[in-house]
Amino acid sequence: MARSITLQIDNRNKQHAGWLLLLLLCLFVQPFDTFAKASESRGIPSAVVLNPAAEIWRDVRQREQLTNGTSQVKGVDSGVLINAYGDQWRNFRMQQLIPIGGFLLIGVVIALALFYLFRGKVAIEGGESDKKLLRYTNYEQLIHWFIASIFLFLAISGLIILFGRPVLIPIIGKEVFSIIASACKEGHNLMGPLFLVALILIFIKFVRRNIYQKGDLSWLLRGGGIIGKKHVPSNFFNMGEKTMFWMLVLVGSVVIISGFVLIFPIFGQGREWMELAHVGHAIGAILMISVIIGHIYIGTIGMEGAIEGMKTGYCDLNWAKEHHDLWATKAEQQGEAISNDKVSQLREVSSAQPLGGHVQEE
Amino acid sequence: MGQFIDGPLWAFSLGVFVLGVIWRVVTILIAGNRSDLATAKGSAGKGAIRAVFSRFIPERTVTSRGRIQLIAGYLFHLGLLALLFFAKPHVDFIAERITGLSWSAMPHWAFIVSAEAAFIGLILLWLHRVLNPVTRLLSDLDDHVGSILVFLVMLTGCLALAQSFEPLRLIHLLLAELLLIYFPFSKLMHAFTFVMSRGYTGATMGRKGINA
Repeated sequence: MARSITLQIDNRNKQHAGWLLLLLLCLFVQPFDTFAKASESRGIPSAVVLNPAAEIWRDVRQREQLTNGTSQVKGVDSGVLINAYGDQWRNFRMQQLIPIGGFLLIGVVIALALFYLFRGKVAIEGGESDKKLLRYTNYEQLIHWFIASIFLFLAISGLIILFGRPVLIPIIGKEVFSIIASACKEGHNLMGPLFLVALILIFIKFVRRNIYQKGDLSWLLRGGGIIGKKHVPSNFFNMGEKTMFWMLVLVGSVVIISGFVLIFPIFGQGREWMELAHVGHAIGAILMISVIIGHIYIGTIGMEGAIEGMKTGYCDLNWAKEHHDLWATKAEQQGEAISNDKVSQLREVSSAQPLGGHVQEE
Repeated sequence: MGQFIDGPLWAFSLGVFVLGVIWRVVTILIAGNRSDLATAKGSAGKGAIRAVFSRFIPERTVTSRGRIQLIAGYLFHLGLLALLFFAKPHVDFIAERITGLSWSAMPHWAFIVSAEAAFIGLILLWLHRVLNPVTRLLSDLDDHVGSILVFLVMLTGCLALAQSFEPLRLIHLLLAELLLIYFPFSKLMHAFTFVMSRGYTGATMGRKGINA
């Protein structure tokens, strides 16, 4: 009992001491504040160094240079007390990357919506034919949807990580966002390497058909036939699809490499490398997402019959003649066009196309 | 809600899983074999054991025509097995809540590799199921529900990897509990019955003197 009372008195004394300390601190700080206000009111520049520690911290920031000091702690960046480039990176992320990236993505969606209102769905002019051509094997469909599902997951989780703070916090609050952000970060890091596997599979399977050919440039110069009504001849893949493929491979490689730099900090990369990797990763990803939004638009609401090949493996013969006529004409001449009934039979009842089966190429 | 998921629902789902699996295995075992009156030309036991293990190595036709299924199948099953029994959070959970026994967990890098392998395998296998005409025809709702449930359990487990937020752990646990309840009444039972299935075929063929 006596000990308890002593403890209570001790605690009360501690509280009193705390209040006293706070009061002294206020009294000590007040003259400086008054002095600063007085200086400002007299027009005297207020940049008087009142705090001698400021000079020390300016030195610690190493005057915008990255200098390694010495430390007993052995590790990457252990000799750097404050990374001078951190501020530049943070400012770029908050003031340029997020607003410009956001406007770019919204701009792409608005542009496609306007284009759809103006042009509508691109229909098959001759209507659907009673024949089809085998466009993609099971394996090709498989790896396409594999990379598509991985890409969608990474894009959504990445956008939440990048834009969540300005966009989601005002809507769902900080607590819920912290949970979603943590989940997205873990999921993004774990699924990221799968994109490498998917991209390698896509590259090996489709690279031959995506090498630029004669006629590709004229397709590009004539707007791919989407702008205007004039028909533009094209191969198995047109110039737009080939460019998207190479963008996916090249920009995708940048995104993958920078992603590995970010999630595996075990190769001696310091903070400045991580910041650089983050910038490359984000810019590359926003670029890829913008292009893929266009790809999804054409495949879904933009063009009649475009997604059929990736859904069923077969495409309509008239669609193929309108959009890939050089390939379609050759395939038809070789007797590869088959009736819709036969396609239904092949897809639903009879035997399957063996995996890794061969599609007649250009 | 969290207490319910962590307490009564966990006990219920574990009970359903254990009793359900025992019930399914016992019903298969008591169904018995048809009596074979022919003179045995070989050993049924040897045939059964041979079939159980030899089926892990696929026939040449399978390796050429079903390469994706084969590779994806091994990636998924081995990855999932490693995650289930050797991921650090699982080892701790099993020791604390089920057996009281603990064993060495795999290192973090091995966890990442296992998770990547399991995800690649499962996504490819499910896509193959829906895209290939034959597997699409053979698949029913049970196949899709089983695949999606396993995928969701794996995904939520990975999303909760930071182990910093209780709601993420509870979502993962809730889905794992739903999977445990669903397991005995689905084709996921092949995790236990594959031994009996292979053994039965192997024994029948072994008795007839066929090296199957």
